Amino acid sequence: MSIYEGLSADKLAVVLDLGARYTKFGFIGEFAPRCIIPSEIKCPSSGKIRYIYSYTDENDLYSLLVEFVHMLFFKHVLVTPKDRHVVIVESLLCPTLFRDTLAKVLYRHFEVASILFVPSHLVALCTLGVKTALVIDVGYEEVQIIPVYEGVPILKAWQAQPLAAKAIEARLRNNFINAYNNMKNAAGDCGDTDTFAEDVSELPDSVIEDIKVRGCFVTTMERSEMISKSEPVKEPPPLKYRIKGDKLILIPGICRETAFEVLFERDNDTNSIQDLVLKSILECGIDTRKQLAENLFLVGGTVMAPGFKSRFMREVKALLHSPEYCDRLPLNTVKLHNPPAKDNYTCWLGGAIFGATDMLQMRSLSREKYLSLNTVPDWSNLAHNELVISKLPT
Amino acid sequence: MSYLIQREFVRYECTCGSLKPISVLHFCRHCLKLRCGYCVCHEVDSHYCSNCMEHLPSAEAKIKKNRCGSCFDCPNCFHTLSVRATTRSVEDGSKTPSKHYYLACFFCRWTTRDVGIPDQTTATGSWPNKENPYAETLISLLEHYKVIAMRERSQKDKKTYSTPRRGYSSFTEKFGLSSMIARKRAGLPSLPLGGKEVNLSNLPPITPSVAEEEVEPLPESYFAEEPDLTKITSLVQRHANPALQATTINTLHPQHRHFYIKRSLRCRQCEHNVSKPEYNPGSIKFKIQLAAYYHMPEVRIMTFEPLQAGKPSDIILKLINPTQHLTSVQFTQLPTTEEIEVAEEREKNMKESLDRDLISIPIPPRCVVITGKADLPSSAVVLPPRDDAAEYDDTVDTHSFQDDPNVVVWRKGNKAAVKFSITPFSDIKPGTEVLFGFCLDYGYVNTMPILEPRQPQRTEMQVKVYLSPGKTCGIDPK
Ligand SMILES: Nc1ncnc2c1ncn2[C@@H]1O[C@H](COP(=O)(O)OP(=O)(O)OP(=O)(O)O)[C@@H](O)[C@H]1O
Ligand SMILES: [Mg+2]
Ligand SMILES: [Zn+2]
Ligand SMILES: [Zn+2]
Ligand SMILES: [Zn+2]
Ligand SMILES: [Zn+2]
Ligand SMILES: [Zn+2]
Repeated sequence: MSIYEGLSADKLAVVLDLGARYTKFGFIGEFAPRCIIPSEIKCPSSGKIRYIYSYTDENDLYSLLVEFVHMLFFKHVLVTPKDRHVVIVESLLCPTLFRDTLAKVLYRHFEVASILFVPSHLVALCTLGVKTALVIDVGYEEVQIIPVYEGVPILKAWQAQPLAAKAIEARLRNNFINAYNNMKNAAGDCGDTDTFAEDVSELPDSVIEDIKVRGCFVTTMERSEMISKSEPVKEPPPLKYRIKGDKLILIPGICRETAFEVLFERDNDTNSIQDLVLKSILECGIDTRKQLAENLFLVGGTVMAPGFKSRFMREVKALLHSPEYCDRLPLNTVKLHNPPAKDNYTCWLGGAIFGATDMLQMRSLSREKYLSLNTVPDWSNLAHNELVISKLPT
Repeated sequence: MSYLIQREFVRYECTCGSLKPISVLHFCRHCLKLRCGYCVCHEVDSHYCSNCMEHLPSAEAKIKKNRCGSCFDCPNCFHTLSVRATTRSVEDGSKTPSKHYYLACFFCRWTTRDVGIPDQTTATGSWPNKENPYAETLISLLEHYKVIAMRERSQKDKKTYSTPRRGYSSFTEKFGLSSMIARKRAGLPSLPLGGKEVNLSNLPPITPSVAEEEVEPLPESYFAEEPDLTKITSLVQRHANPALQATTINTLHPQHRHFYIKRSLRCRQCEHNVSKPEYNPGSIKFKIQLAAYYHMPEVRIMTFEPLQAGKPSDIILKLINPTQHLTSVQFTQLPTTEEIEVAEEREKNMKESLDRDLISIPIPPRCVVITGKADLPSSAVVLPPRDDAAEYDDTVDTHSFQDDPNVVVWRKGNKAAVKFSITPFSDIKPGTEVLFGFCLDYGYVNTMPILEPRQPQRTEMQVKVYLSPGKTCGIDPK
C-alpha cells in the first residue's frame, strides 16, 4: 500500500488556516505556507477593504468567502480548486456559522473533492512530535488555550479571552492619542502647534499595526511593575514615525513599552493571559498538571513580538508562586516549547503535516457525502455548542 | 458604450441571477444560457512569468513552485530585480579583468550586496537559496506521522471487517448530556499520537521537541535606543517569505518571481469552455471566447429626458443585432414577484425530479430596488443581420420595415433606435437612482456545426435587462 494511494499526485491537497487577521495557505507536505496574506478583500462594487470576519450575516459571509477563496487559489497557489482535497485548520472554538459557510463555499461554489477539518491546537503538536502540551494561541481576536493530553484535547479546560493583537492595537491607539493630545496641549501653551497639527485620531488600523510591529516591544515584569506603581523608570526614547509620506509624528517611548501590557494586567479581574494558563491547568486532572506546565506551547503571530516569550514565562512563574495559586497548584517549573517554524504558522504547519498522512483519506468529508447530507455532520460542528455546555456550572 | 466608460447603465440578468454588463457575460452555445464569472467554473490554464514571459505547463510550474527560474523580485519593494554587471579591476596582476554580477532593484535601490550575497560570475547566476533551517526535523516528523497513520488505517480496515462499528448515538444514550464531549471526541480526527500498539521497529525515529525553562530575554537595547525603522522590516515584507520572515532589512533574501496564470472558464452545466485563452502569454487572443455581445442584442441608452418622480419621460434606446441572422425583438414587462415565486417553485420541482446537482452553486440573494416603470412599445422591432460592408455605406438608407414611427425613430444597418417612456415612481426622493427593467424576447439562430440536424436552429430567447439611466432631478419649478 503506497503512502500516496488514493490521491492522484497531480492534485496535491491544499491547507487553509483562515485567521481573523491573516490567512495562511499552501500545500500539504510542505514546511511553510505559500502565502500569508491579510484575511480581507476589496469589495468589487464599493472598492472598500473588508475583513472576512466583518461579515454581517451568512449571505454576506458567503459572498466575502467566494471572493476571498477565489483569490487564494488563482492569485496565490495557482491551482484549480475543483476536485481538490482541502485541509482546514480551525480552532475548536470556531463559530459554527463560519465553518458551515466556509464548507458550503468550498463544496458548492468551488466543487472541492473533500474537506478535512483539523483542530488547530491539536495538529500544532505534529510540529513538535510530542503528545502532551498546553497550547496557547495568541492571534488577533482572542487568546485561546486548550490543553492536549496524550493526543486528546481536554475540551473542558479551554480558556479564551479577547486578549490578543486586537486588544494590543486598541491599547496602543488609545495611549497614543492621549499622549499626543497632552503633548499638543502642552505645545499649544508655548505657541508651538505645527508639530502637532496632524489628526491622529483616525489613523488606519494598518498604521497602528505597523507601529506595533516595528516600534513596540514587550517590556520586562520588573519595569512593568514600576510603571504601574508610577515609580520612576527611564522612559525609552520616542519613535519618529512618518505618516502620509512626509508628516512626522512622535510616538512616546512609554506608548511603545506598554501596548502589550493589556495581556498581562490583573488589576480588575483575573483574566490575564497568565491567569488563563493556570486556570486551564487547574481544570485538568491532577496527574496531568505537572506535565502540562512543563509543556507550554505558544502559537500565533502575537507571540513573535520582541520580549513576549520571556515576559510570558516570567508572569506564569510568578503567578504560580503567588499565594493565590501556590497551594492549589504546587508546581515548580514551567517550560516552553520552541517549534521548528515561525510562530504565526505553526498551526498551519501542523495541518500540512497531518494532511500529508493517510488521515486525509480516512477522515475527510467528501463532496458527495456533503451534498447528500447537505450539511457538515454533527460530529464536526458540535464543537462550539458543546464547549459552551462544558463550561456550564455543574 | 457602457463597457468602455465603466459605468453600468445597462445590465443583463445572468442565468444565475447576477446583474452584469454585457461586456462581462458569456453565452454558452450548448446550453443556450447566459453565464458570468460567478457561475462558471474557473480553471488554471497556463502559468507564465510576467517579466520574462516564460510560460510553463502546469506540471512543470508545480515543480518550480510557481516561480520563474530566471527572474527575481525585490524583497524590499517587490519590484523585479535587474542583473547588474561590474568589471572588477585587477589588482593582483592577473590579465583579464573578470565580470561580476549582482541583482539590483531600480525602484528602491536595494541590491544583493546590501545583504551580503556574494556577486556571481555568471549573469544567470547561481543565486543562493535560503533553505528552511528546520527541514531535517520536519522531514523526520512527516515520515513518522505518515507511518503512524498508515498503521491506524490498516488497523481500522481490519476492525471494520470484524466488529460492527458503534454509532455515535450509542454514546449519547450512555452518557446523557456530557456525551456531547464523547461524541466530539469520537468524531475528532484524534491524532494517532497515543501510538501504543504501534510496532516501533519500523517507525522512523524522531527527536521530540524538548521544552525549556530558559527563554531568551529582551535585549537591553530596546530600552535605550530608538528603533531605526529603515532597518526593521514591515509585516508585508516578512509575510512575503513565510519560512524566513526576516525581521531586519539586512536579512532579507530575494525570491524567484511568482508566476501569473491564464484562466479558462467552463460552463458548469455542460462542461464546455466558454472562454479559453491562447497558450502564449504574449497573446491576448482566445481560442474560445463565447462572449455574450456576439450572440444577443445589445441595448444602449442613447438619450433620455430629465427624470422626475411620477412624471413620464421619453427615453431612446439603441438596439444592436451582432449576429449574422435577422432577429426580431419584443419588449415585455418584468414578471411580478408572485410570478417569479411561482416560476421558481416550478423550476425547483423540475430540478429535483431531473438531476439534483446539475447546477449546485447557491445563488446569493440580490437586492435590486426597482424605482421606475416603463411604458414599453407593444410592437416587435426587426433587426437585420450584421453586415460589415454596410457599416461604411452611407447611401443605403432605404429599408422595407413597417416600423411604427412612434417607436422606431432611427435605423441603420443592424441597429435601430427605439423610443418609449419611463416613469420613476412617484414616492421616490429627488436624487434617487432610477432603476427599471424589462424582458427582451429575441430570436436566436444557433449555427453550431456539431448540432444535429445540421441546419441552423431558431430558438426564442428571453433576457431580463435592467437600466439605470441616472438620478431623478429636483422638484419641478412649476
Ligand atoms: N512575523 C510577525 N512578526 C510580528 N508580529 C506578527 C508577525 N506576524 C503576525 N504578527 C502579528 O500577530 C497578530 C496575529 O497574527 P496571526 O496570524 O496569529 O492572526 P490570526 O491567525 O489571523 O488570528 P486568529 O488566530 O485570532 O484568527 C497580527 O495582528 C500581527 O500584527
Ligand atoms: Mg490563528
Ligand atoms: Zn453550457
Ligand atoms: Zn452568472
Ligand atoms: Zn521570469
Ligand atoms: Zn526594490
Ligand atoms: Zn454541452
